[in-house]
Amino acid sequence: MFQRIGFYRRCAQLLTLLAIFIIPLLNLYEITFVKGTFYSMDIGDVALADPLAVFQAMFTSRTISLIMLASMVVPVFLVVLFGRVWCSWFCPYYLFTEAVAWGRSRLSVFGIKPFTGRYREGSTSRQNIIRYLVLGVGLLLAGIAGIPLLNLVSAPGIISSQALILVKFRTVSFELVFILFILVLEFFFFKYWCRLFCPTGSFLSLFQGRRGLKVKKIELECRSCHTCIRSCPMQINPMTEGDNPMCHNCGICIDACPDNHKQPTLGFRFR
Amino acid sequence: MGFVEALRQRLNQNPFKGFFRLNRLRPPGAVAEDHFMELCIRCSRCIEICPYDSIRRADIYASLQIGTPYIYAEDKACYLCMKCPPVCPTGALDTRLRKGEEVAIGKAVIDQDLCLNYLYVKEEESGKVTGMATICNTCFNACPLRDKAIVMEKFLLPVITEECVGCGICVEKCPTQPRRAVNVVPTGMIDEKSSGYYYRRNRVRQSQPEGDRGAVSGEELLERKEQISTFGETPQFKSDFSTDGSMEGWE
Repeated sequence: MFQRIGFYRRCAQLLTLLAIFIIPLLNLYEITFVKGTFYSMDIGDVALADPLAVFQAMFTSRTISLIMLASMVVPVFLVVLFGRVWCSWFCPYYLFTEAVAWGRSRLSVFGIKPFTGRYREGSTSRQNIIRYLVLGVGLLLAGIAGIPLLNLVSAPGIISSQALILVKFRTVSFELVFILFILVLEFFFFKYWCRLFCPTGSFLSLFQGRRGLKVKKIELECRSCHTCIRSCPMQINPMTEGDNPMCHNCGICIDACPDNHKQPTLGFRFR
Repeated sequence: MGFVEALRQRLNQNPFKGFFRLNRLRPPGAVAEDHFMELCIRCSRCIEICPYDSIRRADIYASLQIGTPYIYAEDKACYLCMKCPPVCPTGALDTRLRKGEEVAIGKAVIDQDLCLNYLYVKEEESGKVTGMATICNTCFNACPLRDKAIVMEKFLLPVITEECVGCGICVEKCPTQPRRAVNVVPTGMIDEKSSGYYYRRNRVRQSQPEGDRGAVSGEELLERKEQISTFGETPQFKSDFSTDGSMEGWE
Protein backbone atom coordinates (compact mmCIF):
# COMPACT_ATOMS: atom_id res chain seq x y z
CA MET A 1 0.00 0.00 0.00
CA PHE A 2 2.72 2.39 1.04
CA GLN A 3 4.06 4.63 -1.80
CA ARG A 4 2.10 2.71 -4.40
CA ILE A 5 -0.11 5.56 -5.58
CA GLY A 6 2.89 7.86 -5.96
CA PHE A 7 4.63 5.35 -8.22
CA TYR A 8 1.65 4.94 -10.55
CA ARG A 9 1.10 8.69 -10.60
CA ARG A 10 4.70 9.39 -11.56
CA CYS A 11 4.46 6.76 -14.32
CA ALA A 12 1.34 8.43 -15.71
CA GLN A 13 3.01 11.85 -15.59
CA LEU A 14 6.16 10.67 -17.33
CA LEU A 15 4.15 8.86 -19.99
CA THR A 16 2.18 12.05 -20.63
CA LEU A 17 5.40 14.03 -20.90
CA LEU A 18 6.70 11.46 -23.36
CA ALA A 19 3.44 11.52 -25.31
CA ILE A 20 3.59 15.25 -26.05
CA PHE A 21 6.78 14.55 -28.02
CA ILE A 22 5.81 11.15 -29.43
CA ILE A 23 2.42 12.25 -30.83
CA PRO A 24 3.83 14.99 -33.13
CA LEU A 25 6.62 12.61 -34.15
CA LEU A 26 4.12 9.94 -35.18
CA ASN A 27 2.15 12.60 -37.02
CA LEU A 28 5.28 13.50 -38.97
CA TYR A 29 5.19 9.92 -40.26
CA GLU A 30 1.50 10.39 -41.00
CA ILE A 31 0.34 8.05 -38.25
CA THR A 32 -2.63 10.12 -37.20
CA PHE A 33 -4.44 7.80 -34.83
CA VAL A 34 -3.72 10.18 -31.97
CA LYS A 35 -3.39 13.81 -32.97
CA GLY A 36 -3.52 17.20 -31.35
CA THR A 37 -2.31 18.96 -28.25
CA PHE A 38 -3.72 19.36 -24.76
CA TYR A 39 -5.98 22.15 -26.00
CA SER A 40 -7.72 19.67 -28.22
CA MET A 41 -6.96 16.07 -29.08
CA ASP A 42 -8.36 13.21 -31.12
CA ILE A 43 -7.82 9.63 -29.99
CA GLY A 44 -9.18 7.50 -32.78
CA ASP A 45 -12.51 9.12 -33.50
CA VAL A 46 -13.10 10.41 -29.98
CA ALA A 47 -12.65 14.16 -29.76
CA LEU A 48 -11.30 15.49 -26.48
CA ALA A 49 -10.78 19.15 -25.68
CA ASP A 50 -9.84 21.36 -22.80
CA PRO A 51 -13.33 22.32 -21.56
CA LEU A 52 -12.15 25.84 -20.73
CA ALA A 53 -10.75 26.42 -24.22
CA VAL A 54 -13.93 25.25 -25.88
CA PHE A 55 -16.10 27.17 -23.42
CA GLN A 56 -14.16 30.35 -24.18
CA ALA A 57 -14.61 29.81 -27.91
CA MET A 58 -18.36 29.42 -27.38
CA PHE A 59 -18.42 32.37 -24.99
CA THR A 60 -16.56 34.85 -27.20
CA SER A 61 -18.06 33.81 -30.53
CA ARG A 62 -21.62 33.45 -29.14
CA THR A 63 -22.11 30.25 -31.13
CA ILE A 64 -22.39 26.64 -30.03
CA SER A 65 -21.56 23.82 -32.37
CA LEU A 66 -22.08 20.12 -31.87
CA ILE A 67 -18.38 19.34 -32.34
CA MET A 68 -17.46 21.62 -29.46
CA LEU A 69 -20.02 20.09 -27.11
CA ALA A 70 -19.05 16.56 -28.13
CA SER A 71 -15.38 17.19 -27.42
CA MET A 72 -16.23 18.38 -23.90
CA VAL A 73 -18.15 15.23 -22.97
CA VAL A 74 -15.31 12.84 -22.12
CA PRO A 75 -13.16 15.28 -20.07
CA VAL A 76 -16.15 16.50 -18.07
CA PHE A 77 -17.28 12.91 -17.50
CA LEU A 78 -13.79 12.04 -16.21
CA VAL A 79 -13.86 15.00 -13.81
CA VAL A 80 -17.29 14.02 -12.50
CA LEU A 81 -16.16 10.44 -11.99
CA PHE A 82 -12.57 10.76 -10.77
CA GLY A 83 -12.23 14.41 -9.75
CA ARG A 84 -9.44 16.62 -11.03
CA VAL A 85 -7.06 13.75 -11.81
CA TRP A 86 -5.99 15.64 -14.93
CA CYS A 87 -4.05 18.12 -12.80
CA SER A 88 -2.19 15.74 -10.54
CA TRP A 89 -1.84 12.63 -12.69
CA PHE A 90 -1.29 13.96 -16.22
CA CYS A 91 -0.57 17.70 -16.45
CA PRO A 92 3.04 18.21 -17.56
CA TYR A 93 3.28 21.55 -15.77
CA TYR A 94 2.41 19.85 -12.46
CA LEU A 95 5.31 17.47 -13.00
CA PHE A 96 7.62 20.44 -13.49
CA THR A 97 6.41 22.09 -10.28
CA GLU A 98 7.07 18.88 -8.41
CA ALA A 99 10.56 18.82 -9.88
CA VAL A 100 11.11 22.42 -8.69
CA ALA A 101 9.85 21.55 -5.20
CA TRP A 102 12.14 18.50 -5.15
CA GLY A 103 15.07 20.63 -6.25
CA ARG A 104 14.32 23.03 -3.41
CA SER A 105 14.25 20.24 -0.88
CA ARG A 106 17.77 19.23 -2.01
CA LEU A 107 19.11 22.70 -1.21
CA SER A 108 18.81 22.48 2.58
CA VAL A 109 22.61 22.80 2.92
CA PHE A 110 22.25 26.43 1.80
CA GLY A 111 19.69 27.14 4.46
CA ILE A 112 16.72 26.89 2.13
CA LYS A 113 13.97 24.93 3.81
CA PRO A 114 11.79 22.49 1.83
CA PHE A 115 8.15 23.41 1.38
CA THR A 116 5.51 22.20 3.79
CA GLY A 117 1.80 22.74 3.54
CA ARG A 118 0.60 25.76 5.50
CA TYR A 119 -2.97 24.80 6.20
CA ARG A 120 -4.92 27.06 8.48
CA GLU A 121 -8.55 27.19 9.48
CA GLY A 122 -10.51 28.73 6.58
CA SER A 123 -7.56 28.97 4.19
CA THR A 124 -9.20 26.50 1.82
CA SER A 125 -12.22 28.67 1.13
CA ARG A 126 -9.93 31.70 0.76
CA GLN A 127 -7.92 29.85 -1.90
CA ASN A 128 -11.12 28.82 -3.65
CA ILE A 129 -12.35 32.42 -3.71
CA ILE A 130 -9.07 33.65 -5.22
CA ARG A 131 -8.94 31.09 -8.00
CA TYR A 132 -12.59 31.41 -9.00
CA LEU A 133 -12.14 35.20 -8.97
CA VAL A 134 -9.12 34.84 -11.27
CA LEU A 135 -11.13 32.58 -13.57
CA GLY A 136 -14.09 34.96 -13.60
CA VAL A 137 -12.01 38.06 -14.29
CA GLY A 138 -10.13 36.17 -17.00
CA LEU A 139 -13.35 35.11 -18.68
CA LEU A 140 -14.64 38.68 -18.46
CA LEU A 141 -11.49 40.03 -20.10
CA ALA A 142 -11.69 37.33 -22.76
CA GLY A 143 -15.27 38.37 -23.46
CA ILE A 144 -14.34 42.05 -23.72
CA ALA A 145 -11.40 41.38 -26.05
CA GLY A 146 -13.36 38.78 -28.02
CA ILE A 147 -10.39 36.40 -27.93
CA PRO A 148 -9.93 33.18 -25.89
CA LEU A 149 -7.39 35.06 -23.76
CA LEU A 150 -7.07 32.42 -21.03
CA ASN A 151 -5.53 30.04 -23.55
CA LEU A 152 -2.51 32.32 -23.51
CA VAL A 153 -1.89 31.35 -19.86
CA SER A 154 -3.02 27.72 -20.01
CA ALA A 155 0.18 25.91 -19.00
CA PRO A 156 -0.49 22.33 -20.22
CA GLY A 157 -1.74 23.53 -23.60
CA ILE A 158 1.23 25.82 -24.11
CA ILE A 159 3.72 23.13 -23.11
CA SER A 160 2.25 20.53 -25.46
CA SER A 161 1.94 22.91 -28.40
CA GLN A 162 5.51 24.10 -27.84
CA ALA A 163 6.60 20.45 -27.87
CA LEU A 164 4.74 20.07 -31.16
CA ILE A 165 6.49 22.94 -32.90
CA LEU A 166 9.78 21.87 -31.33
CA VAL A 167 9.40 18.46 -32.95
CA LYS A 168 8.06 19.77 -36.25
CA PHE A 169 10.02 22.99 -36.82
CA ARG A 170 12.86 22.57 -34.28
CA THR A 171 12.05 25.93 -32.78
CA VAL A 172 9.98 27.29 -29.93
CA SER A 173 7.98 30.49 -29.67
CA PHE A 174 7.69 33.20 -27.06
CA GLU A 175 5.00 31.41 -25.04
CA LEU A 176 7.68 29.20 -23.52
CA VAL A 177 9.17 32.28 -21.84
CA PHE A 178 5.93 32.65 -19.91
CA ILE A 179 6.10 29.02 -18.76
CA LEU A 180 9.71 29.43 -17.64
CA PHE A 181 8.78 32.64 -15.81
CA ILE A 182 5.98 31.09 -13.75
CA LEU A 183 8.16 28.02 -13.19
CA VAL A 184 10.95 30.14 -11.70
CA LEU A 185 8.43 31.74 -9.35
CA GLU A 186 7.42 28.24 -8.24
CA PHE A 187 10.73 28.08 -6.43
CA PHE A 188 9.62 30.82 -4.05
CA PHE A 189 5.85 30.29 -3.82
CA PHE A 190 4.78 26.71 -3.30
CA LYS A 191 2.52 25.51 -6.18
CA TYR A 192 1.02 28.99 -6.39
CA TRP A 193 0.05 28.61 -10.04
CA CYS A 194 -1.86 25.35 -9.64
CA ARG A 195 -3.46 26.43 -6.36
CA LEU A 196 -4.51 29.97 -7.14
CA PHE A 197 -4.19 30.94 -10.79
CA CYS A 198 -4.44 28.04 -13.25
CA PRO A 199 -7.68 28.76 -15.16
CA THR A 200 -7.87 25.23 -16.58
CA GLY A 201 -7.80 23.64 -13.13
CA SER A 202 -10.32 26.09 -11.71
CA PHE A 203 -12.68 25.45 -14.59
CA LEU A 204 -12.34 21.68 -14.23
CA SER A 205 -13.16 21.83 -10.53
CA LEU A 206 -16.49 23.48 -11.38
CA PHE A 207 -17.60 20.00 -12.48
CA GLN A 208 -16.50 18.28 -9.27
CA GLY A 209 -19.64 17.24 -7.48
CA ARG A 210 -20.32 15.58 -4.16
CA ARG A 211 -20.07 12.16 -5.77
CA GLY A 212 -17.11 10.51 -7.40
CA LEU A 213 -13.67 9.45 -6.27
CA LYS A 214 -12.74 11.25 -3.04
CA VAL A 215 -10.04 11.06 -0.38
CA LYS A 216 -11.74 9.87 2.76
CA LYS A 217 -10.76 9.17 6.33
CA ILE A 218 -11.91 5.59 6.76
CA GLU A 219 -10.79 4.94 10.32
CA LEU A 220 -12.25 7.56 12.59
CA GLU A 221 -9.43 7.27 15.12
CA CYS A 222 -5.91 8.17 14.06
CA ARG A 223 -2.85 9.37 15.92
CA SER A 224 -3.47 12.95 14.66
CA CYS A 225 0.12 13.46 13.54
CA HIS A 226 -1.03 15.85 10.76
CA THR A 227 1.49 14.37 8.30
CA CYS A 228 -1.19 14.39 5.62
CA ILE A 229 -1.84 18.12 6.12
CA ARG A 230 1.86 18.94 5.88
CA SER A 231 2.28 16.83 2.76
CA CYS A 232 -0.78 18.19 0.90
CA PRO A 233 0.32 20.19 -2.18
CA MET A 234 -2.99 22.04 -2.29
CA GLN A 235 -2.63 23.10 1.36
CA ILE A 236 -5.92 21.66 2.55
CA ASN A 237 -6.83 19.20 5.26
CA PRO A 238 -7.23 15.78 3.57
CA MET A 239 -8.98 14.27 6.58
CA THR A 240 -11.99 16.58 6.42
CA GLU A 241 -11.83 18.32 3.05
CA GLY A 242 -11.49 15.39 0.67
CA ASP A 243 -14.63 16.47 -1.16
CA ASN A 244 -13.52 20.08 -1.52
CA PRO A 245 -13.05 21.26 -5.16
CA MET A 246 -9.52 22.19 -4.15
CA CYS A 247 -8.56 18.49 -3.82
CA HIS A 248 -7.17 16.99 -7.00
CA ASN A 249 -6.84 13.35 -5.90
CA CYS A 250 -3.07 13.15 -6.13
CA GLY A 251 -2.89 10.59 -3.28
CA ILE A 252 0.20 12.12 -1.69
CA CYS A 253 -1.56 12.30 1.69
CA ILE A 254 -2.53 8.62 1.44
CA ASP A 255 1.08 7.66 0.75
CA ALA A 256 2.30 9.89 3.56
CA CYS A 257 -0.10 8.68 6.26
CA PRO A 258 1.91 6.55 8.76
CA ASP A 259 -1.23 4.88 10.09
CA ASN A 260 -1.86 3.31 6.69
CA HIS A 261 0.93 0.83 7.45
CA LYS A 262 -1.14 -0.81 10.14
CA GLN A 263 -4.67 -0.50 8.81
CA PRO A 264 -6.34 1.57 6.07
CA THR A 265 -6.92 4.96 7.66
CA LEU A 266 -6.94 7.41 4.78
CA GLY A 267 -7.82 6.24 1.27
CA PHE A 268 -9.67 6.76 -2.01
CA ARG A 269 -13.35 5.90 -1.87
CA PHE A 270 -16.18 6.32 -4.35
CA ARG A 271 -19.05 8.25 -2.91
CA MET B 1 -8.72 63.82 -37.82
CA GLY B 2 -10.12 64.94 -34.52
CA PHE B 3 -9.74 63.13 -31.27
CA VAL B 4 -13.29 61.85 -31.20
CA GLU B 5 -12.95 60.56 -34.73
CA ALA B 6 -9.73 58.74 -33.87
CA LEU B 7 -11.29 57.24 -30.75
CA ARG B 8 -14.33 56.13 -32.69
CA GLN B 9 -12.24 54.43 -35.34
CA ARG B 10 -10.02 52.77 -32.78
CA LEU B 11 -12.71 51.41 -30.49
CA ASN B 12 -15.38 50.54 -33.03
CA GLN B 13 -12.99 48.17 -34.73
CA ASN B 14 -11.91 45.87 -31.94
CA PRO B 15 -8.22 46.66 -31.38
CA PHE B 16 -7.59 43.17 -30.03
CA LYS B 17 -8.42 41.43 -33.29
CA GLY B 18 -5.95 40.80 -36.05
CA PHE B 19 -4.34 43.27 -38.37
CA PHE B 20 -3.77 43.09 -42.09
CA ARG B 21 -0.49 42.18 -43.71
CA LEU B 22 0.25 41.24 -47.28
CA ASN B 23 1.13 37.59 -47.93
CA ARG B 24 0.30 36.58 -44.37
CA LEU B 25 -2.65 34.24 -44.74
CA ARG B 26 -4.95 32.19 -42.59
CA PRO B 27 -5.23 28.45 -43.36
CA PRO B 28 -7.77 27.43 -46.02
CA GLY B 29 -11.38 27.52 -44.90
CA ALA B 30 -10.79 30.16 -42.24
CA VAL B 31 -13.85 32.23 -41.37
CA ALA B 32 -13.67 36.04 -41.39
CA GLU B 33 -10.84 37.36 -39.27
CA ASP B 34 -12.75 38.80 -36.30
CA HIS B 35 -14.80 35.60 -36.04
CA PHE B 36 -11.66 33.53 -36.48
CA MET B 37 -9.98 35.22 -33.53
CA GLU B 38 -13.01 34.41 -31.39
CA LEU B 39 -13.03 30.75 -32.36
CA CYS B 40 -9.36 29.82 -32.64
CA ILE B 41 -8.21 28.19 -29.40
CA ARG B 42 -4.57 28.00 -30.61
CA CYS B 43 -4.53 24.22 -30.39
CA SER B 44 -2.00 23.89 -33.26
CA ARG B 45 -3.79 20.98 -34.84
CA CYS B 46 -3.80 22.48 -38.32
CA ILE B 47 -0.07 23.08 -37.85
CA GLU B 48 0.43 19.45 -36.87
CA ILE B 49 -1.53 18.01 -39.79
CA CYS B 50 0.03 20.21 -42.51
CA PRO B 51 2.26 17.91 -44.60
CA TYR B 52 4.12 20.80 -46.27
CA ASP B 53 5.00 22.72 -43.06
CA SER B 54 3.20 25.69 -44.62
CA ILE B 55 1.17 26.63 -41.54
CA ARG B 56 3.21 28.17 -38.74
CA ARG B 57 2.43 29.23 -35.21
CA ALA B 58 2.47 33.01 -34.84
CA ASP B 59 5.07 34.33 -32.43
CA ILE B 60 5.19 37.40 -30.17
CA TYR B 61 5.45 39.73 -33.22
CA ALA B 62 1.78 39.08 -33.88
CA SER B 63 0.88 40.55 -30.44
CA LEU B 64 -2.41 39.06 -29.21
CA GLN B 65 -2.62 36.73 -32.20
CA ILE B 66 0.31 34.79 -30.76
CA GLY B 67 -0.26 31.08 -31.17
CA THR B 68 -2.72 31.34 -34.04
CA PRO B 69 -1.91 29.67 -37.36
CA TYR B 70 -0.53 31.65 -40.28
CA ILE B 71 0.74 30.85 -43.75
CA TYR B 72 3.63 33.08 -44.78
CA ALA B 73 3.20 32.82 -48.53
CA GLU B 74 6.64 34.24 -49.33
CA ASP B 75 8.33 31.35 -47.50
CA LYS B 76 5.92 28.50 -48.13
CA ALA B 77 2.52 28.75 -49.70
CA CYS B 78 -0.56 26.62 -49.14
CA TYR B 79 -0.67 23.65 -51.52
CA LEU B 80 -4.41 23.12 -51.05
CA CYS B 81 -4.17 19.53 -49.83
CA MET B 82 -7.23 20.33 -47.66
CA LYS B 83 -6.12 18.29 -44.66
CA CYS B 84 -6.42 21.10 -42.11
CA PRO B 85 -10.10 22.15 -42.27
CA PRO B 86 -11.49 18.80 -41.00
CA VAL B 87 -9.27 18.72 -37.89
CA CYS B 88 -10.31 22.11 -36.50
CA PRO B 89 -12.11 21.46 -33.18
CA THR B 90 -14.08 24.71 -32.98
CA GLY B 91 -15.00 25.49 -36.57
CA ALA B 92 -12.56 28.38 -36.96
CA LEU B 93 -11.75 26.59 -40.19
CA ASP B 94 -14.85 25.49 -42.07
CA THR B 95 -14.79 21.76 -41.25
CA ARG B 96 -17.00 20.79 -44.18
CA LEU B 97 -14.70 22.26 -46.80
CA ARG B 98 -13.18 19.57 -49.02
CA LYS B 99 -12.52 21.08 -52.44
CA GLY B 100 -9.50 23.24 -53.10
CA GLU B 101 -11.39 25.32 -55.66
CA GLU B 102 -13.84 26.56 -53.03
CA VAL B 103 -11.17 27.99 -50.76
CA ALA B 104 -11.12 31.77 -50.32
CA ILE B 105 -7.90 32.62 -48.54
CA GLY B 106 -7.41 35.78 -50.53
CA LYS B 107 -6.87 37.26 -53.95
CA ALA B 108 -3.56 37.65 -55.69
CA VAL B 109 -2.69 41.10 -57.05
CA ILE B 110 -0.01 41.73 -59.66
CA ASP B 111 2.22 44.75 -59.22
CA GLN B 112 2.68 45.97 -62.78
CA ASP B 113 5.73 48.04 -61.89
CA LEU B 114 7.61 44.95 -60.77
CA CYS B 115 6.33 42.12 -62.97
CA LEU B 116 8.94 41.28 -65.59
CA ASN B 117 6.45 40.62 -68.37
CA TYR B 118 4.65 43.93 -67.89
CA LEU B 119 8.02 45.70 -67.84
CA TYR B 120 8.99 44.00 -71.09
CA VAL B 121 5.79 45.02 -72.82
CA LYS B 122 6.27 48.60 -71.65
CA GLU B 123 9.79 48.52 -72.99
CA GLU B 124 8.65 47.14 -76.31
CA GLU B 125 5.87 49.68 -76.71
CA SER B 126 8.27 52.52 -76.03
CA GLY B 127 10.46 51.18 -78.85
CA LYS B 128 13.53 50.55 -76.77
CA VAL B 129 13.80 46.88 -77.68
CA THR B 130 12.62 44.75 -80.55
CA GLY B 131 12.89 41.08 -81.26
CA MET B 132 13.06 38.06 -79.06
CA ALA B 133 13.02 37.71 -75.29
CA THR B 134 12.44 34.93 -72.82
CA ILE B 135 9.35 35.77 -70.87
CA CYS B 136 8.64 34.83 -67.30
CA ASN B 137 5.70 32.47 -67.01
CA THR B 138 6.43 31.41 -63.46
CA CYS B 139 3.16 32.38 -61.79
CA PHE B 140 1.10 31.00 -64.67
CA ASN B 141 2.92 27.67 -64.56
CA ALA B 142 2.95 27.36 -60.77
CA CYS B 143 -0.75 28.11 -60.32
CA PRO B 144 -2.78 25.03 -59.28
CA LEU B 145 -5.77 26.49 -61.14
CA ARG B 146 -3.79 27.13 -64.30
CA ASP B 147 -5.64 28.98 -67.05
CA LYS B 148 -8.48 29.57 -64.62
CA ALA B 149 -7.08 31.74 -61.85
CA ILE B 150 -4.25 33.21 -63.90
CA VAL B 151 -4.73 33.75 -67.62
CA MET B 152 -2.14 35.11 -70.02
CA GLU B 153 -3.45 38.12 -71.86
CA LYS B 154 -1.94 38.40 -75.35
CA PHE B 155 -0.02 35.22 -74.35
CA LEU B 156 2.24 37.51 -72.39
CA LEU B 157 0.64 39.40 -69.54
CA PRO B 158 -0.53 37.44 -66.48
CA VAL B 159 -3.96 38.53 -65.26
CA ILE B 160 -5.62 37.27 -62.08
CA THR B 161 -9.27 36.31 -62.46
CA GLU B 162 -12.05 35.88 -59.92
CA GLU B 163 -11.26 32.16 -59.69
CA CYS B 164 -8.15 32.88 -57.60
CA VAL B 165 -8.31 31.17 -54.20
CA GLY B 166 -5.29 32.94 -52.76
CA CYS B 167 -3.12 29.90 -52.06
CA GLY B 168 0.01 32.00 -52.57
CA ILE B 169 2.02 29.54 -54.68
CA CYS B 170 2.61 32.28 -57.26
CA VAL B 171 3.97 34.50 -54.47
CA GLU B 172 6.32 31.77 -53.32
CA LYS B 173 7.65 31.17 -56.82
CA CYS B 174 7.75 34.75 -58.15
CA PRO B 175 11.35 35.49 -59.14
CA THR B 176 11.43 39.23 -58.38
CA GLN B 177 13.35 39.76 -55.16
CA PRO B 178 13.10 40.94 -52.47
CA ARG B 179 9.65 42.36 -53.13
CA ARG B 180 7.37 40.04 -55.09
CA ALA B 181 5.57 41.23 -58.20
CA VAL B 182 2.52 39.23 -57.16
CA ASN B 183 1.08 39.44 -53.66
CA VAL B 184 -1.93 37.89 -51.96
CA VAL B 185 -4.35 40.20 -50.22
CA PRO B 186 -6.09 38.05 -47.58
CA THR B 187 -9.87 38.15 -47.57
CA GLY B 188 -11.81 38.48 -44.36
CA MET B 189 -9.27 40.94 -43.07
CA ILE B 190 -9.64 44.51 -44.14
CA ASP B 191 -7.92 44.91 -47.47
CA GLU B 192 -5.73 47.62 -48.86
CA LYS B 193 -8.52 49.48 -50.64
CA SER B 194 -10.93 49.76 -47.74
CA SER B 195 -7.97 50.31 -45.51
CA GLY B 196 -9.06 50.79 -41.98
CA TYR B 197 -7.25 50.92 -38.72
CA TYR B 198 -5.49 47.59 -39.20
CA TYR B 199 -3.90 48.49 -42.48
CA ARG B 200 -2.59 51.83 -41.32
CA ARG B 201 -1.06 50.26 -38.27
CA ASN B 202 0.51 47.63 -40.46
CA ARG B 203 2.02 50.27 -42.75
CA VAL B 204 3.72 51.93 -39.81
CA ARG B 205 5.17 48.62 -38.74
CA GLN B 206 6.37 47.64 -42.15
CA SER B 207 7.91 50.90 -43.33
CA GLN B 208 11.55 50.27 -44.06
CA PRO B 209 14.01 52.41 -45.98
CA GLU B 210 14.64 51.27 -49.55
CA GLY B 211 18.37 51.15 -49.59
CA ASP B 212 20.80 49.17 -51.61
CA ARG B 213 18.98 45.91 -51.04
CA GLY B 214 15.48 47.32 -51.29
CA ALA B 215 13.18 46.80 -54.24
CA VAL B 216 13.46 48.98 -57.29
CA SER B 217 10.70 49.51 -59.80
CA GLY B 218 9.73 51.38 -62.94
CA GLU B 219 12.37 53.42 -64.72
CA GLU B 220 15.08 52.57 -62.23
CA LEU B 221 14.55 48.84 -62.75
CA LEU B 222 14.62 49.30 -66.53
CA GLU B 223 17.94 51.09 -66.28
CA ARG B 224 19.35 48.40 -64.10
CA LYS B 225 18.17 45.73 -66.51
CA GLU B 226 19.77 47.51 -69.45
CA GLN B 227 23.12 47.23 -67.74
CA ILE B 228 22.87 43.44 -67.69
CA SER B 229 25.05 41.99 -70.40
CA THR B 230 24.75 38.50 -71.80
CA PHE B 231 28.51 38.34 -72.17
CA GLY B 232 31.01 38.00 -69.40
CA GLU B 233 30.02 36.75 -66.01
CA THR B 234 26.91 34.69 -65.66
CA PRO B 235 24.48 36.10 -63.15
CA GLN B 236 24.15 34.27 -59.84
CA PHE B 237 20.68 33.25 -58.81
CA LYS B 238 19.65 32.22 -55.35
CA SER B 239 18.12 28.75 -55.41
CA ASP B 240 17.50 26.23 -52.70
CA PHE B 241 18.15 23.18 -54.80
CA SER B 242 21.23 21.70 -56.45
CA THR B 243 21.53 20.19 -59.91
CA ASP B 244 23.87 17.51 -61.08
CA GLY B 245 26.63 18.60 -63.42
CA SER B 246 25.85 15.90 -65.94
CA MET B 247 22.83 13.72 -66.51
CA GLU B 248 22.66 10.27 -67.94
CA GLY B 249 21.62 10.22 -71.57
CA TRP B 250 22.17 13.94 -72.05
CA GLU B 251 25.23 15.32 -73.72
